[in-house]
Amino acid sequence: MMLIILNECKKALTSPILIGLFIVFSAFNVFVIISSSDHKEELKMLNEIIDQYGRDITDNSLNRFESDIQIDLAKLNRMTASEFTSVYDFLDGLRFEDQEKYSDEQWLFIHRLQLKEMYLNMAKSIDESYEAMDIKKMGEAEIEKYLLSGNAAETLLHEYEKLSERFEEMVNNGEHKEWFFAGKAYFMHSFLFKTVFLHIIIESLLLIVLTTSLITTYEFESKTHLVAYSTKRGRKLMKDKLFASLAIATTIIVFLFAITLGTFFSVFDYSHVWKTSISSAFNWEYNFPYVAWWDLSVGTFLIGVIALVFIVLLLFVGLTFAISIAVKNSYISFFLIAAVFVLLWLLPSFMPTSSTLLFVFAYTLPTLLLAIRYSFMGSSGLILFENFEWMTMSCWTIITIVVGFMSYKRFLKIDIH
Amino acid sequence: MLVVKDASKRYGDFTALQQINLEFNTGLYGLLAPNGAGKTTLIKMLATLITPSEGEIQYNGKNILEMDEQYRELLGFLPQQFGYYKNFSPKQYMLYLAALKGIGKKEALHKINELLDKVALSDVVNKKMKKFSGGMIQRVGIAQALLNDPKILILDEPTAGLDPKERARFRHLLTELARDRLVIISTHIVSDIESIANEVIMIKNKQLLYKDSVEEICATLNGNVFETTIDFESLKAFRKKFVLLSEKQEYGKIIVRFIHKGVPEVEWISVPPQLEDVFLYEYRDEIEGEV
Repeated sequence: MMLIILNECKKALTSPILIGLFIVFSAFNVFVIISSSDHKEELKMLNEIIDQYGRDITDNSLNRFESDIQIDLAKLNRMTASEFTSVYDFLDGLRFEDQEKYSDEQWLFIHRLQLKEMYLNMAKSIDESYEAMDIKKMGEAEIEKYLLSGNAAETLLHEYEKLSERFEEMVNNGEHKEWFFAGKAYFMHSFLFKTVFLHIIIESLLLIVLTTSLITTYEFESKTHLVAYSTKRGRKLMKDKLFASLAIATTIIVFLFAITLGTFFSVFDYSHVWKTSISSAFNWEYNFPYVAWWDLSVGTFLIGVIALVFIVLLLFVGLTFAISIAVKNSYISFFLIAAVFVLLWLLPSFMPTSSTLLFVFAYTLPTLLLAIRYSFMGSSGLILFENFEWMTMSCWTIITIVVGFMSYKRFLKIDIH
Repeated sequence: MLVVKDASKRYGDFTALQQINLEFNTGLYGLLAPNGAGKTTLIKMLATLITPSEGEIQYNGKNILEMDEQYRELLGFLPQQFGYYKNFSPKQYMLYLAALKGIGKKEALHKINELLDKVALSDVVNKKMKKFSGGMIQRVGIAQALLNDPKILILDEPTAGLDPKERARFRHLLTELARDRLVIISTHIVSDIESIANEVIMIKNKQLLYKDSVEEICATLNGNVFETTIDFESLKAFRKKFVLLSEKQEYGKIIVRFIHKGVPEVEWISVPPQLEDVFLYEYRDEIEGEV
């Protein structure tokens, strides 16, 4: 059986289109990361801050940080023969012709001081910003924004109440008071979990659906089905094809992740922030900070998201397998899967805004994949539900197994012409 | 050994085969019928690719569908349209099929060389099959069917694409194989099986017409096949009156071979019936329809 599975894998591995696509996708991801890495040196400032003052932001560490900045400011004042209380005062009053007055080394110092002040100011404003936040009101705002009523409004409000409790717990734990790359300046969370991850997801999906449908329908498309399915192995060959598709999908995912994330983390130094909470106040990019339902570190979050993506992609192998067996044509299977993907993603928009079905039909694999940066988060609009990830995964695992099994059982019985 | 019991196959309102009863033992069986008569349907049922709508097929008393792998392990099958991987060599492709047939790689390699030699393809073992002629592909098909040394060998139109020399070699090979196994060949070419089949099966109107030796089937037309020489002018009238089997021009006249069941005329010469005569006679409507 191993020999058969290897033979089936070979069919995908020797397909020039798939190999070509894989190389193009990998190269594209590396290009996207490198071309967005202008600020990679700036990010190192945060690592220095963590080295010196620890990962947790405490009054004590902030005081030390501030007094060190005062020393730097004194140095700046000596350098400029002025009396600045902030490096920003100096920068605001800077004239174009003054720039040549300072050496490169001095500019580096000024720039580092600017970054330190930025981090200090952000850290000092955390308490005030978080105190001003009213989660329940935000829930009401969401209800108004999406014109929700009836059960839908009630359910959402209830979930926002739960989130409010979690928010308080998070603030009390001080999860948000841990250093991370400044979200509003660098958008690292969005870059990694939206841009980079979405590339990996879409590319893997394309490759996986293509390879699975290629392997599954190979005998029908090469017209070798009459010979292959009348051998001793017979129609159970389809089972081997499923295992081969899963093995190839795993290989594609592992390599695509390894190449892309390998490049990402060698360009951007995350070594000091792995243990920082993903709900850090610094990981605040847009109107609302990322607030996870659980106390997750950046490292754990990354592993969790990779695991989520990996499982969901394998579920797509199962769904493609089920469809391919039935239609016996790789191109039709590909377009059907694409259509199913889009339909599932759009499903909630067909639901009445007064019914909880609006939320239920958002528990789909496409929604989970396309909103991957909001995984495990309470701050994710209509899919904020605490059970969103595990419920979606469990339901779709069951659906995929049932659909795949039924499709396989049907294939064991149908006539092969 | 292999028994087809009241097997029918229906697709909605269309009946492809009706109430077929057959029994096969060791030897060579020729399944003879025009295209579209249901030969391939019967063959695919024997290869477990399609399921009878009614009835069943048994091997040594057991339903072949229930036997599953145990049955297909004994089976060698060459379908009418033998598909292959264009970029594979015969050796690579047969290695894959050997894996599907549960044959280990070492054993398979030995067997593949032996079989490709048998079908005279030993000098193209590693050449890609996309460069092969139709006859060469067909020979790969025959070789793969023999990979597992099958007890039951089923070949659907195996001589398609073979030249006369290859056909002769193939007939010789089949006679040799049929000594200790069951070989079923479906064909619409009478000469493929006439001289080698132990029994010939003919299907007509979706039902079994004959299952007998060539001699016995020919005997059904004993005393009814004649030859005579006629003028061109009378050919048209002759055609209307009798079932013509063949026409041959000679010295400005025509020698016709035909069937007549009744009192013959004096100048007619009674000739021994051939299998081809029975074929043309039984399927006269279908063959005319095809023309």
